[in-house]
Amino acid sequence: MPSKSAGAEYIKGLWEENPVFRQLLGMCPTLAVTNAVINGIAMGLATSFVLILSSVVVSSIKKLIPSQVRIASYIVIIATFVTIADRFMAAFFPPISKSLGPYIPLIVVNCIILGRQEAFSSKNSVGRSLVDALGMSTGFILALLVLSSIREILGMGTFLGHQVMGAWFKPWIIMILPAGAFITLGILLAVALVIESKTKKRKT
Amino acid sequence: MNLSARMIVVLTTVGLISGSLMAVVGMLTKDRIALNRQQEIEAAILEVVPGTDTSEELFAEKNFTIYGGKNRDGNLIGYAVYTSGTGFQDIISLMFGTDPNITKINSLSILEQKETPGLGAKITDKELFLKFWDNKNTGSALSLRKPAVRSQDELAANEVNTITGATISSDKVLSIVNQSLEKLKQIKQAGKLISEDNDAE
Repeated sequence: MPSKSAGAEYIKGLWEENPVFRQLLGMCPTLAVTNAVINGIAMGLATSFVLILSSVVVSSIKKLIPSQVRIASYIVIIATFVTIADRFMAAFFPPISKSLGPYIPLIVVNCIILGRQEAFSSKNSVGRSLVDALGMSTGFILALLVLSSIREILGMGTFLGHQVMGAWFKPWIIMILPAGAFITLGILLAVALVIESKTKKRKT
Repeated sequence: MNLSARMIVVLTTVGLISGSLMAVVGMLTKDRIALNRQQEIEAAILEVVPGTDTSEELFAEKNFTIYGGKNRDGNLIGYAVYTSGTGFQDIISLMFGTDPNITKINSLSILEQKETPGLGAKITDKELFLKFWDNKNTGSALSLRKPAVRSQDELAANEVNTITGATISSDKVLSIVNQSLEKLKQIKQAGKLISEDNDAE
């Protein structure tokens, strides 16, 4: 594996290997909870917490785990951090915990997390895994933020609960329904592909 | 160490450490989570039985709890019923308050719902739906006013407003409240609402 600088390892999560727009991982929470900005941010932070801690733990004990049971061990480690995040939110942020409902426990099966353990943390040092997890988390939060901002503004005329559109604005209810999630994500993916192909052309 | 022994040791250790961590976190947050729930219910009681100083549970069965609200002098000023039922999509949990003689509904509050956002979810909207439940006469079963009207004055004393485009959700809320009202009256008549110490004296 060509070794990159720590900065490049971080930056790649933002765009080049953005978990949502480039790798198409973690689609379930991406589509389900981005109906309001606050939900998107909360989901992004909870996922980041789990991803960062799991990456650190997995990369530090990678030599001890026989490869036959690695997936089982990773899942148990991830589930532990998810449970901690879930209980913590239920105890200290009950309204958010309520509106995210089952999607917090479902972080366990978020492919971004298991994917990073398998593709990165199990092969790299603790420091590099930490930077990689930080980059992926930032990329994920940014993607959720973009998606949930578009959906909340068009679907409810608000941003973080504050009215941003004038009284003339009639909310597009479809945007906060599942269909709106697919439409928005589809358009954003298309935009991401166009930008990517343009930048590639310029490079060659 | 051979491979299978190593696999067993690793998985057991990982499991044990995870389990203990979760147990610790569970213990640390348990009280706080119970407290949150308690506060949520108390806030809802205060909303549906205004002027409540202390409240106590008078009757409880699955998905149906009656709280008695008392004012500062310890007099019973109303009942709050916390119940849930099937909505259009999922369970709707709600609480409504009545006066001590169950002649009128003070107000209604929706605690949990997963109705269609923008349509059925308007059952949580004060201006569009909930305010039309204030001070309704409960002498006979409540009914739904269709099509929707704009102001309280156009509704009869036992009529509540529909949400345009979400008749089913409005109707579900109505039937949950009607059933619970009936049950509340029966329980009160049967004298099962214990600890009304002011009435007994």
